[in-house]
Amino acid sequence: MSDKLKQVISRQNKQQNESIDQSDDIVQLVGFIIGEEEYAVPILSIQEIIKPFTWTRVPQVPKYVMGVFNLRGAVIPLIDLRLKFGLSEKKHSDETRFIVMKDRDDVAGFVIDRLTMAIRIKKANIGPAPDTINGDNTMIDGVGKQEDRIITILKVNKLLERDF
Amino acid sequence: MDEFQEILQDFLVEAFELVEKLDEDLVELEATPEDLELLNGIFRVAHTIKGASSFLNFDVLTHLTHHMEDVLNKARHGELIITPDVMDVVLESIDLMKTLLNIIRDTSSDAGVDVSECVVRLDKISGGDGDVPVPQASAPIINVVEEEPEVEDENEPDYDNMSDDDVEAEIQRLLEQRQAEDKAKRAAKVAAGEEVLAPPPEPNEETSSQNAKESKPEKKPEPKAEPIKAPVPRASTNANSTSDDEDSDAKAAAPAKRSNTTVDQTIRVDVKRLDHLMNLIGELVLAKNRLIKINDDVEERYEGEEFLEELNQVVSIVSLVTTDLQIAVMKTRMLPIGKVFNKFPRMIRDLSRELNKKIELVIKGEETELDKSIVEEIGDPLVHIIRNSCDHGIETPDVRLANGKSETGTISLKAYNEGNQIVIQIDDDGKGLNAEILKSKALEKGLISEKEADNMGEKEAFMLIMKPGFSMAAAVTNVSGRGVGMDVVKTNIEKVNGIIDIESETGVGSSVKLKIPLTLAIIQALLVGVQEEAYAIPLSSVLETVRISKDEIYTVESRSVMRLRDDVLSLVHIGDIFEVERILDSSEHAYVVVLGLGAQKLGLIVDSLVGQEEIVIKSLGEYLKGIEGIAGATIRGDGGVTLIVDVVALMEIAKNVKATSMISDQKSESAQSREKTKASDYTIMIVDDSKTDRMIMRKSLEATGMSLVEASDGLEALNILKQGDYNFDAMLIDIEMPRMDGYTLATEIKKYNRYKQMPLIAVTSRTGKSDRMRGVESGMVEYITKPYSADYLSSVVQRNVNFKSEFLS
Repeated sequence: MSDKLKQVISRQNKQQNESIDQSDDIVQLVGFIIGEEEYAVPILSIQEIIKPFTWTRVPQVPKYVMGVFNLRGAVIPLIDLRLKFGLSEKKHSDETRFIVMKDRDDVAGFVIDRLTMAIRIKKANIGPAPDTINGDNTMIDGVGKQEDRIITILKVNKLLERDF
Repeated sequence: MDEFQEILQDFLVEAFELVEKLDEDLVELEATPEDLELLNGIFRVAHTIKGASSFLNFDVLTHLTHHMEDVLNKARHGELIITPDVMDVVLESIDLMKTLLNIIRDTSSDAGVDVSECVVRLDKISGGDGDVPVPQASAPIINVVEEEPEVEDENEPDYDNMSDDDVEAEIQRLLEQRQAEDKAKRAAKVAAGEEVLAPPPEPNEETSSQNAKESKPEKKPEPKAEPIKAPVPRASTNANSTSDDEDSDAKAAAPAKRSNTTVDQTIRVDVKRLDHLMNLIGELVLAKNRLIKINDDVEERYEGEEFLEELNQVVSIVSLVTTDLQIAVMKTRMLPIGKVFNKFPRMIRDLSRELNKKIELVIKGEETELDKSIVEEIGDPLVHIIRNSCDHGIETPDVRLANGKSETGTISLKAYNEGNQIVIQIDDDGKGLNAEILKSKALEKGLISEKEADNMGEKEAFMLIMKPGFSMAAAVTNVSGRGVGMDVVKTNIEKVNGIIDIESETGVGSSVKLKIPLTLAIIQALLVGVQEEAYAIPLSSVLETVRISKDEIYTVESRSVMRLRDDVLSLVHIGDIFEVERILDSSEHAYVVVLGLGAQKLGLIVDSLVGQEEIVIKSLGEYLKGIEGIAGATIRGDGGVTLIVDVVALMEIAKNVKATSMISDQKSESAQSREKTKASDYTIMIVDDSKTDRMIMRKSLEATGMSLVEASDGLEALNILKQGDYNFDAMLIDIEMPRMDGYTLATEIKKYNRYKQMPLIAVTSRTGKSDRMRGVESGMVEYITKPYSADYLSSVVQRNVNFKSEFLS
């Protein structure tokens, strides 16, 4: 093998390593609005984002569990994050979306008021959840700071956990 | 190590299969002790397990099976008569063997079970002095080395060519040789201080001889794996013999050619793969339902078009093939019920000895097939029913003789297909059930009230034995009396959507029928509607449906009931169970779905019957599991999700639901009567397909300052109402509109409780008397004919909404 080739290979390896390093300290999130606040979840925990369509009510569940809907043959629970976060009910608008999130085998759809954008944020810019919210029970993973806004990053596994 | 695990798995699968058959064979053997064929078969099982276990270094298991083998071998040669006492010991050793196998399965080692006592007894039977050294490692292992050729001799082609006597002689020779070696070994070990645990030396020379004998290619060429070979041909013959009725291991094993072909005919498939396949078929069934629905729609729209016929053909072929495919895949998951029945001869034998009764078990239809998951569920219930029959049903021999029956009682166990169900029937010719005694016993235990007892029919009384805590036994014995057994039956059978039916005649016997659906995944369901929701009820639990008018419902002790022919049926409204909001006003008539579960009956009131459909059960997932009354969900032809009613749970819930509010507590919606503080608090909807007309109405009303909302046809108006964004005080409705006309709209609106009181004002150019009449019929309060003056329209609206004049500026 020629030295040149070796050089090329080593350079490529180096580049690859670098790119891995880069992705390591950047987190990709998807931001959305519920009420007045902006929240975000890791992009990899999102299976898909869809426009609202009909669902079926399920009895004997808390109000924020709206029911179940059909996602290409799978029956998936639908949770209204407005109600879950203690906000008032609101009619679905053109901007309302269902975010389907998954964590291992758990899948559920979440109703949000409006999507904002995909966010790339440095890990260094993510702070811990405020001290006032403590314990393992919090749904908040951390608080991301970007320019002039603050984004609450949610724990997907907590969102998907049954709490009734 | 992986290879070892693989071999271990194969060994376990095979061993469990063999052992399962063993029980049955042994009991049969006791009846016909001279059946050499049978003995050979049993001997071979012990032998195979011994061979394989010693290879895998399971010394305790080897030790045990070795002694079993000795006893069985003696019996084979007629040196030992199989008496019930001998059989007890043999059976005990087989139980131990099972325990060991279970432990091996769970922990991959055979430690923790003491077999020495049993081994001593086995040894005594086989003529030894009972002086057997406790678990030893090397002795049996050495045996294996000797045994391998023996296995081959017995079962491989050579065996075929030998005469019976030759075979016996050969076996005898090898056995003697081995026993001699055993002794030598034992002596050697005692000398060596008893701590030999070396792996077996590789039987190289054996290997080569085996390879010479067996020309067929084997997957494991290295000598190390060689000894495992012995089980391989036998596994296939075993599979073969399950389809044959007679247990002819020996026969099947003998011709090598035949066993070769059977190897090709069966494949072991991971159950997970079959489950996956079943899921995919489920999806296909859903798609098929959708296709049929779309086809119907298309047919309606393009009636008479030529392509329709072609489409129809394709749709029917797809639906036909899907159904066939579904059945085919279902069949791959089917197991013969014989798998469960196999263990009963042994159980009956043990029980009859324990209870000092003479009981004969007759099994029929063991080839009847059931879904694997169901086969697993029904084992326990059957055990309990049969124990019950033995203990309470069959009388002791002297009582039977006194009653003019034959001394031996008969329990017959049969399985057969009946429509979409499998029926398992357990009959006994014992003393039967006595409804009166059952009732008084239940009363005594406080399971029912006196009143209930009085109203109870015979069948219901029989079902009392299924109640938890109910027991007829005077004392708690080993066999029964705890009052849990039959409760297990009920729970398990209901879990698989089955139905229990008990018949009995005092003195003649009783009969328990379990009706079980063929499969769990895809079921026939009745779809019912309540308000705007739909629910699916498994058709197997639906006895009938009845249309009733509301005045047929009576209230007794704050529960709703109705008279159904000669019975009184308790009723519950599906809306009360599932917290359905009453948006629509229910009509004068309702439907009652009569649900039956065992002897229990319940009438479920629904608003409408949608129809029968084949549905695929899907779970609601981890997040929503365990919702009471809901068994799962299914996806309908239109893509929507419909919940499936859990009839068992529903019956439970129904007990706690007090009188249905069917006679309706019409709460006046407070929304309309909300205090108006300014003119714009009044909201009016204008429904007209003509933009000009809407404009004219708007202009007429704008001066009052009321809020105005427009809709261009009936459907749009209805949708706006459904969304409930506004609280309308009145509606102005044109009669002639596309999609939905004014009359229909008015009729629809009146169905909603919430809008019952809202004034509907017709604005139309139709002036005929009949038009006005229709308007009134559909619930319109005013009738304005075009053309009209702006003031007139405004005043009519103001009057209808009680517009406060101070808002008029």
